[in-house]
Amino acid sequence: MTETTVAPPKPVVVEEGKPQKGWAGQNVPRKEDKRLLQGEGVFFDDIKRHEMGYVHFVRSPYAHARIKSVDVSKALELQGVYGTLTGDEVAILTDPFFELSVPPGAHMKDYALAVGKVRHLGEPVAAVVASTRELARDASELIEVEFEPLEPLVDARRAQDDGAPILHDEAGSNVVWDGTFDWGDFEGAVAEADHVVKIKELHFDRFSSTPLECSGCLVEYNRGTGQWTMYCNHQMPGVGAIWMAPSLRVGLDKLRFVTQDIGGAFGNKICLHPYFVACCLLARKLNRAIQWTEWRTDQHTANAHGNERWFQDIEVPVKADGTLLGFKVRAVDDCGAFPRYEPLGCIIWAQVTPGCYRWRNIRVDFTQVTTNKSPVSPNRGYSRMQHLWLTERIIDIVAHELGLDPVEVRKKNYVKHDEFPYETPNGCIYDSGDYARCLDIALELVGYDQLEKRRAEAKSRGKLLGFGIGSTLDSGTNNFGQSMILNPELQFSGNNEVATVKLDIFGEIVVTLGTVPQGQGHETTAAQVVSDILGCSPDDVNVRPGHDTYWNSHAGFSGTYASQFAVTGLGAVKGAADMLAGEMRKLASVVFGCSDEDIELAEGQARIKGNPEAALPFMALGAILNANNAGLPEDLDVTLNCRYVYRPPFEKPDVERKYGNLTLTYATQIHACIVEVDPETGVYEIVDYAAVDDCGKRIHPQIVEGQVHGATAQALGAATHESFTYDADGNLMTPNFYDYHVPHALDMPPMKNGFIESESPFTPLGAKGMGEGGGAGIHAVCAALQDATGKTVTESCNPYNRVWELLRSEDGHVEVTGR
Amino acid sequence: MKVEGEREFAAPRTTVWEVLNDPSRMAKTMPGVESFDVHDDRHWTANVKIPLGLGGLRMSVNMEKTEEREPEFAKMAIKGNGVGAVMNMETSFHLSEAGNETHMKWEADVHLLGPVASMGQRVLQPIVNQQVTHVLSALEKQVQEAQAS
Repeated sequence: MTETTVAPPKPVVVEEGKPQKGWAGQNVPRKEDKRLLQGEGVFFDDIKRHEMGYVHFVRSPYAHARIKSVDVSKALELQGVYGTLTGDEVAILTDPFFELSVPPGAHMKDYALAVGKVRHLGEPVAAVVASTRELARDASELIEVEFEPLEPLVDARRAQDDGAPILHDEAGSNVVWDGTFDWGDFEGAVAEADHVVKIKELHFDRFSSTPLECSGCLVEYNRGTGQWTMYCNHQMPGVGAIWMAPSLRVGLDKLRFVTQDIGGAFGNKICLHPYFVACCLLARKLNRAIQWTEWRTDQHTANAHGNERWFQDIEVPVKADGTLLGFKVRAVDDCGAFPRYEPLGCIIWAQVTPGCYRWRNIRVDFTQVTTNKSPVSPNRGYSRMQHLWLTERIIDIVAHELGLDPVEVRKKNYVKHDEFPYETPNGCIYDSGDYARCLDIALELVGYDQLEKRRAEAKSRGKLLGFGIGSTLDSGTNNFGQSMILNPELQFSGNNEVATVKLDIFGEIVVTLGTVPQGQGHETTAAQVVSDILGCSPDDVNVRPGHDTYWNSHAGFSGTYASQFAVTGLGAVKGAADMLAGEMRKLASVVFGCSDEDIELAEGQARIKGNPEAALPFMALGAILNANNAGLPEDLDVTLNCRYVYRPPFEKPDVERKYGNLTLTYATQIHACIVEVDPETGVYEIVDYAAVDDCGKRIHPQIVEGQVHGATAQALGAATHESFTYDADGNLMTPNFYDYHVPHALDMPPMKNGFIESESPFTPLGAKGMGEGGGAGIHAVCAALQDATGKTVTESCNPYNRVWELLRSEDGHVEVTGR
Repeated sequence: MKVEGEREFAAPRTTVWEVLNDPSRMAKTMPGVESFDVHDDRHWTANVKIPLGLGGLRMSVNMEKTEEREPEFAKMAIKGNGVGAVMNMETSFHLSEAGNETHMKWEADVHLLGPVASMGQRVLQPIVNQQVTHVLSALEKQVQEAQAS
C-alpha cells in the first residue's frame, strides 16, 4: 500500500513489481530539498551584476496591427535609461528564427521583436533598459508607437475562410501545416459496424501551466570572445541555442546557458528564444549585463499557451456489443500567432493515436493554423492531452448514446494486459501495462459499488451526482524522427542523453547530468541509481545541481521534457556508473593481483569476493589513480571519469505511411472522479477523486506521487476554471490570477492514489517516463459532468457558468445511425 | 462596452447645450484632466490620468465632434492612446425640453484594446460607472454655474 493524501476506508490494492534490494524504489530524502526549504536555492533572479540594466518590453495593445512608427527619443532622455531596442534594429541585426514546417508555415517570419506588424496582444514591440526595473517600466511609457489596426483573427475555424485576415503575408495563408493520417480501413469499419455515432464538434480549450517562477535571464556579453552567458531558466537550452545562434549569426558555442534551480517549467520555458535574443542584442549594444524578469501578467498574456484544438465531424463505427472499430475526425489546431515549436504538435498526438484502446481503423485530417493569440509551446501533456481527451470523449459519448456502461465499454476495448508489447495502427509499440487492472483499483478507491446509493443520497439534497473516468497515456522518450513525417527535410531522428560519473581523488563520486532539472528530483534519483551500481549510499554521491552548457556534457536532445528522464537521463547515468564500476574493479584487480571478476563493489569499497578484509576504500582507488599512479601498468585503460551517451532503440519512421514507433514508453493514468452539481447555479464540487498510475519501475515512489499530484492539479484546473478566453478583438479576457484561476491546495479534492508497476521491457531500469499525466483528470471531470447533467459535454473546460448553460441547453451534438 | 442613461437638469435646454459645447467647461467635468487644448470648434485634445486600481492610466485623448443639431443633438468620436491601452469611444446626447427643465438622454459605446481591456468587464464596469457618475455630477455643477451666471 502506498501513502495517500487521504486514507481510503479500506486498504488499497497496490501491485508492486518484484521486491529489489538497493536504493532504487526507496523514498530516500531528496537531495534538493535542504537548500530549497532553507531558501538557499539559486534561481536566475538571484544572480546580480555590477551596474546591470533591467529590461522592460513595450508590448502591443492590439491583436493585429501594422506598426507605422516607433519613437524611443523621449525614453532615452530620461535619466537612468541606458538604451533601447526596436524591431527595425532587430531586423537588421538578426535573421528570422528557423521554422520547422514545410510551406506555408516555413515562410512565416518570426523575430525577437515585432517587425512591421504585431500579431497578438502583448507582442513585444520595443525594449528599454534602465538602472532599475521600475524605471525601465516607467520609461517604456515614453516610447511612442503608432499602430494601424487590422482586423484580427481569433477563431481558428475561420482561418481558411475567403477573406479571413492573413497574419503572415509572406506565407499567404494562415495554415502552418496540414495533412491526413489514415491507418487501417475506415470505410471497411463503417461497413462492419452496427452503428455509426456522429459528433458535430468538440473543443479543447486554450490553457497553460503556471510555473511559480516566471521566465527570465541575466545576460552578459564578453566583447573579447564574442560570447554571451545567460543565467536563466530555459528548460531546453540545446534547442534554444539552435534557434538563437543562427538568428544572431554566431556559432552555437558562443551561447552559454547556465541554470541551477528553476521554479517549474512545463514546456512554457522552451520557447524563450525571442526574449533571450533581444536581451543578447541589448547586452552587446549597451556593453552591460542585462536582466529580464517576466511580469506575471506578461507570462499569462504573451509567453506561451497550450494548443487549442477543435475536433469536427467525428464519426465512430461501433458494433452492437460496444466494440469500437475506429474513428474519423477533422482536427483544427490553433497555435497562436507564431509556430515556434510547431508544427510538432501536428504529429506528437500520434504517439497515442488509439489512446488506451484497440481501435484499428483511424483517419485524422489535421490542420494547424495561426491566429491573433499568444503563441503556444509544448505545455505539459503536449498535443497528446488534446487527442486523448478526444478519444475519451468518444468513449463516453458512444456509451451514453447507445445506452452502454462506460466502465464496460472501456474494459471491452482497452488493450489487454496479455497483448503487450502492443503495436498500434500507426506502428507505435505500447511497451507494457494493465489498463483494466488500473481501472479496477480506481473504482475501488472511489467506492464505485456504492455509486447509485450516493447518487440517491445526493439527489435527496437537491444535487446531481456524476461519475467519470479518464484513461490516458503519458508517452515518453521521443523518437525525433517523427518530425520527418511533418517535414522530410528535417534531419532529426532518435534521441539521446548523456551523463558523466567520476571517482575523485578523495573518493568522492561526482555525477553530472545532461538534463536541466526544474524540480523533478534528478539529483536524488541519479544518486539512487549510482549508489546501487557502485555499492554505496546515495549520500556518498554528489550530483551537481543545475546545468551549464559550457561544463556539463550534453547531447543533441539533452534536456528535461516529454517524460523521459527516468529513461534517457537515468539510462545515461546507469551507463556511466556501469562504466565506472568496471574501471574500479579493473583498478582494484591490478592492485590485488587478481581478476577483475573477483572484485565486488560494496559498502564503499572494492573488495575480493569472499574475502572482505582484502578491501580498498573508494578513496584509495581515487587516490591511487589520480595521485599515486607510478608503477601502474601502461595498458591500464582506466580514467575513473566516465561519460556515457544513452541512445534508445529507434528506427526512422516510414514517412509515406506516417508509420513507426514514435516513443519508447507509455505510462498509464486511470483517474476516477465523482462530482456533485447544483442544478440551480451550475456550481459543482469534486467530492471524490482517485488517480492510479503505472509508470513501470518507480525509482523514488514519493517523487512519482508528487508528479501525479501535480499533473492532477494541472488537469483539474484545466477542467474547471483555467481558460485563456479572447474577445472578438483579440483581447485576452483572463490575463491574471483574478480571472485565470489556478487551483491551490484548498481547491484540490481529497485525492486517493494507487500504483501498479508494469516494468518496461525496453528501458535500462524498467522505468517509464512520467509526470505529464496525459490530462486524465480533464476528461474524468467532463465525463462526471455529463453523467450528472445528462447533457453532452463538448468543451474541455467547464467553469460553473458553462455548466449552468449546459443544464439549460438543447442537446443536439450527436447523431447515431444504425444499419 | 455600451453605457447609457438619462439625466434632468434644472436649466433651459440652451444653457445645457452651451455647457456641453464649451470645451473649457467640459474639461472641468472630465476625470483626471492634466491638460486640455482646443484646436477648433470640432477638435479638442486632452491628456488625462484615469484612476485605475492602484495606479492611473495616462492617456492622450483626441476628441472630434462628428455630428451636431443645435440645440438637441451632438455626437463625438473619441480616441485615446495610453501605454498598453487604446480606447475608441462614440458618444452622443439628445436634449429635450421638459417644462423649465432639460432632459438629457445619452449613450456611449466604449471600445477598449490592450491589457486594460483584458482586465475584464467585471473590473472595468464599476470603474466606468464611477467615472460616469463623476462626469454627470460635474456636469450638473457646470450647468448650475452657467445658469447662475
